[in-house]
Amino acid sequence: MMVSMNEANNVDQAIMQGSEDPGRIVVTDAVLADEPAVGVSASRAGVLRRFALDDLVFHTMTRGAAIAVLILLGGVIVSLVNGSIPAIRAFGFDFLDTQVWNPVTEKFGALAPIYGTLVTSALAMLVAVPVGLGVAVFLTELCPHNLRRPLGIAIELLAGIPSIIYGIWGLFILAPFLQTWVQPAIIAATGNIPILSSLFAGPPYGIGILTSAFVLAIMVLPFISSISRDVFETVPPVLKEAAFGIGCTKWEVMRKVVIPYTRVGVIGGVMLGLGRALGETMAVTFVIGNAHKISNSLLAPGTTISATIANEFTEAVGDLYTSSLIELGLILFVITFLVLAAARYMLMRLEKKAV
Amino acid sequence: MNTITIEKPDVKIRVRDLDFFYGQTRALKSINLSLARNEVTAFIGPSGCGKSTLLRVLNRMYDLYSGQRATGEVILDGENILSPGIDVNLLRARVGMVFQKPTPFPMSIYENIAFGIRLYEKPPKSELDGRVEKALRGAALWEEVKDKLHTSGLGLSGGQQQRLCIARTVAIHPEVILFDEPASALDPISTAKVEELIDELSEEFTIVIVTHNMQQAARVSKYTAFMYLGELVEFGLTNRLFTSPEKKQTQDYITGRFG
Repeated sequence: MMVSMNEANNVDQAIMQGSEDPGRIVVTDAVLADEPAVGVSASRAGVLRRFALDDLVFHTMTRGAAIAVLILLGGVIVSLVNGSIPAIRAFGFDFLDTQVWNPVTEKFGALAPIYGTLVTSALAMLVAVPVGLGVAVFLTELCPHNLRRPLGIAIELLAGIPSIIYGIWGLFILAPFLQTWVQPAIIAATGNIPILSSLFAGPPYGIGILTSAFVLAIMVLPFISSISRDVFETVPPVLKEAAFGIGCTKWEVMRKVVIPYTRVGVIGGVMLGLGRALGETMAVTFVIGNAHKISNSLLAPGTTISATIANEFTEAVGDLYTSSLIELGLILFVITFLVLAAARYMLMRLEKKAV
Repeated sequence: MNTITIEKPDVKIRVRDLDFFYGQTRALKSINLSLARNEVTAFIGPSGCGKSTLLRVLNRMYDLYSGQRATGEVILDGENILSPGIDVNLLRARVGMVFQKPTPFPMSIYENIAFGIRLYEKPPKSELDGRVEKALRGAALWEEVKDKLHTSGLGLSGGQQQRLCIARTVAIHPEVILFDEPASALDPISTAKVEELIDELSEEFTIVIVTHNMQQAARVSKYTAFMYLGELVEFGLTNRLFTSPEKKQTQDYITGRFG
């Protein structure tokens, strides 16, 4: 092995001696001597020089792209912070725990939108995670072969529908449907149960927190199921066979082998979905009702951070109003960052436990 | 097949007129053979001869894939396991399988074994501990892992993982254990350990082993079946088959002229 490497180095003697790598020169010096092919090494030197140049260009370009991302991120953070300074000066930390949102008196608090964002996203995940995983399990393990592709494509199409269409559909189809059929039934059914009755109190508006959560759930479902399906397919067939081989049922194989084996990927999919749910603007703006208050009832209208910004930015007059909206954006940014960080942390702990 | 020279052994599994199809392809052609109780039977033959396929019929692993089907009869203790009424999960608990590559589950060493036991029984913790230890001792792995039972099974070496898989299979008290080239991914020392283990296990279990390695077949098995192109060419006592094969194809294969 060593010998053949030395010989190869010998051929490239010309370059080697021009090279700055002292270690390699030593190697060539040690062997060199009677190498005949000077012509070969000269043309090779040219080729290698070109390769080195190509490599340098490639290296610089990719590094540039990577640095550009960092600069952009930094820029966004700086401009968000900069834009929020008037609001931060005016309200301080009160901004985070006040419900008031009054453009006339210029008193602003972010509690209602923060609450709406967190609650709609949490409810959406509550629905979308089990259903999404169920879809993925069905697609990979149970579905007859000829149904697999059409169903998979349908789910990917669902992910491709623009959010404005979900918004329109939510407002004109889903909300009236929920208002006439579902919400009265829920209100009637939970009327006498202590906690649930306040959770589902009030007139059936149709639009509101719960409806937004449903729309969000439908929107994030394809992310969760298509990513989960992809990672489920990475499980080696022989591992599943081994589990079947000790007498597991399909449910046990999924629960005890496939999902633990793929949990990192599945959590990644769920977090991607959660990220989308937190930031989703258009569809939610349509169906949430845009009320700056926190209501006990999930049927009541509310608002989210992104819906507030989308609704009010055009009519925001005065620096403090605009600045408050920008600070809302900053808060959303921080929430998303925290969610991602929490996900990373969870994955790290899982991996540590696995090894 | 002709001249099956088992001197009236106690038959555990009898395969009768077995055909196997991958879609339209006929991978096994009217196989007939008997597997002796508590003995080791080896299937040898060149790649693609159907030996692994035959193995996968014995616990109906092929059932997991659409388009694969078997016709004929496989009688396990008087019961045809190919009949539709059979509970395949229960069958697979009775007919365990160890694969070519080690397949520890993504859980701790302890759980890898306890998991299979808990599927069909709910023993109290102390009994479960005992069963796990016994299985690990049975697979000659206990001394190496007793201090790290609760670390991941994936952290073991390849040979240890394979013995873990054997322990896992043994722990649920199967009647038959199928080995699909269990040592082909292992180093010589691990291979020797696994072969030794197979020898010990044969006192308690009926064992079928598929192998590419003829020395291995000669070392571990009492009976050998030589298969070629989906047919059972010759079947008999290993000693006899390797020293004086009746068929020219067998002769050619074991002397290394093809395959």
